[in-house]
Amino acid sequence: MNVRFSKQEEDFRAEVRVFLEPWRDLDGFFGQGLKWKRVRELFCAMGERGWLSLSWPEALGGLGRGPAYEYILWDEVGYARAARNPLSAGIVARSLIRYGSDAQKARWLPPIRSGELHFSLCYSEPEAGSDLASARVRADREGDEYIVNGQKCWQSYAQDMDYLWLLARTGTQESRGRGLSLFICDKNAAGVTVSPLPTLDDDQLNEVHFDGVRVPVSDRVGPENGAWSIMGEALADERHIQFPPGRVRRDLDEMVEWVKGVGLAGDPVVRRTLADLAVQVREVEIYGLLVLDRMQKGRSAAAEVAANKVIHTVVCQNIARAIVDLGGPEALVIGSRPQLLWRQSMWETIGGGTTEIMRSIVAKQALGLGARR
Amino acid sequence: MDFDLNDDQRAILEAVEALLEQHAGAARAIELQPKGEYDASLDAALADAGFSDVGRDPDMGGLEATLVVEAVARAGGVVAIGAEAMVAPMLRDEPLPTPIALATAGHGGAVRYAASARSLLVLGDREARWVALEPGDCAPVRSNFGYPMGRVSAEGTTRGDGLGVGSAARLHTAWQLAIAAEAVGCMEAALAQTVGYLKERRQFGRAIGSFQAVQHRLAECAIHVEGSRWLVREAAYQRAPTEGVATAAAFALSAAGRIFSEMHQLSGAIGFTREHDLHVWSMRLQALRLELGGVAAHRRAIVAARWGGVGS
Repeated sequence: MNVRFSKQEEDFRAEVRVFLEPWRDLDGFFGQGLKWKRVRELFCAMGERGWLSLSWPEALGGLGRGPAYEYILWDEVGYARAARNPLSAGIVARSLIRYGSDAQKARWLPPIRSGELHFSLCYSEPEAGSDLASARVRADREGDEYIVNGQKCWQSYAQDMDYLWLLARTGTQESRGRGLSLFICDKNAAGVTVSPLPTLDDDQLNEVHFDGVRVPVSDRVGPENGAWSIMGEALADERHIQFPPGRVRRDLDEMVEWVKGVGLAGDPVVRRTLADLAVQVREVEIYGLLVLDRMQKGRSAAAEVAANKVIHTVVCQNIARAIVDLGGPEALVIGSRPQLLWRQSMWETIGGGTTEIMRSIVAKQALGLGARR
Repeated sequence: MDFDLNDDQRAILEAVEALLEQHAGAARAIELQPKGEYDASLDAALADAGFSDVGRDPDMGGLEATLVVEAVARAGGVVAIGAEAMVAPMLRDEPLPTPIALATAGHGGAVRYAASARSLLVLGDREARWVALEPGDCAPVRSNFGYPMGRVSAEGTTRGDGLGVGSAARLHTAWQLAIAAEAVGCMEAALAQTVGYLKERRQFGRAIGSFQAVQHRLAECAIHVEGSRWLVREAAYQRAPTEGVATAAAFALSAAGRIFSEMHQLSGAIGFTREHDLHVWSMRLQALRLELGGVAAHRRAIVAARWGGVGS
């Protein structure tokens, strides 16, 4: 056992920290939509260094480095609050690398790698949240095109993205996960309407309506009805960078600064709270490293990944709620950091798979408890 | 022993609910939110019908006022009904200019309803004070926790007229109980809203509310809400004994944290959007949790009331 990063990996961390200096005021991790122009510039700057394609094969313009480098990169970016890892260079690119045609790779991977092209994940629907296999948006084939109709819901950042990574039903409703396909759809295509759903953190999610949208067959990724395994594999490829502990470390550091600032650092109750949260943050970090280890070895680790999501997101909330509870009514005023963290962290245990779904995965995968609900 | 409301109490409750049906509700609360407006017309309607003064009626009292405050909170009313119906009658025989906001001496900062308040009741060490306010005395403060807020200056809390010996203790307990009663109403509404949604919302071919793991969590929340309601009503019925009020407040505001967290988690993505009504009540729970020193202070008040100062 060795829980240390190598010398080369630590050197890379130092390089990332220097790179991030000009971006430390960006604060694009929260409310990305309000700062998208600069976040995109950050991604382009990372793209110039090849950091959006760190682990892609060299033949596809990647740097061919291991997952530890990606982990370090997004851990530091998360700590700097600069941005979240973009879905384009993550789930979209990894799916294209595994399943895309040569023409698709040639068309999409270069602008993704450079940070210029961005995607919104269009999976969830009003009637298909946790139960994604019940998705209803239809894509019906007509010659060289699919005609897409239906509604997606709760898409993050769709207002700013260039393309949609669309999950749509090509089989029967009863075929559930076996009747779904993946498409790339131009957000500006005729019949696509993106409308905002204002959220409790003053940001927005979106509804995306498809009204007779024509998608060329050449923009389907992977086989027809083959979406389910592609989505699963792409998620697995991303599991070590989805929840970088740096975000949570930073939450705690901000809390400590806040506690000092309001003169509560000597209060024994506050100190006990901080100690408790510091232990929780260490749990977040060790789980993050455990997931990285499993990833490096190519082992499936569904239970560890699910547990990691639960721990990470619950600790985000625990920290935010502890600060606000200490802060009194003044902590509720817009502009104060505690209330922003408090409101934003509400979403973390829901988006990207709810805590309940994650716990079901742990029960099933780690404990062998049957699928009966 | 009889936990049922008597005929008069039931009549009050039905009447105020009928009024609220007409003048309040989630849609009205959401309409007022963007500008942080106070619902002056609801306040006037409650006052005209006598509900704001029910606590001054010699034949009635704290319990009836508590029922009114619970009901207004359930309806998401944007009015300072806790201060008007439960707090002010404990401090002065004559009604105060309304709206009424509540603050602590020497502590400036964000205060619920201060921007529209005409009266500020200030909790001092020895005495409570009444400060007459003019519109504009307290600048509005932007916040997203369900209540319009205003900024009270620390200096502003030192002005006004003293309300006499014992007034500080009376203000403290009445304020605590009013917060707790309001939390009860918000929790009831948030729970009812969520249970209704989870009965409708289907995933995996069945209503989410039919999953046993979900049912157990909702049941646990329902137990907490019921416990809060009866502790609050008991304290009101007993004429607000210091320890009983602190106990009700500690229990209800602790429950409020759990109800907030569980209702949002179980409602999923839609609960995080403003198109879903849950936030009308849920966000208020957090604001109520922080007032008057928060849960920790309510707990300390229990110890002080029961066992006195540390070491004595």
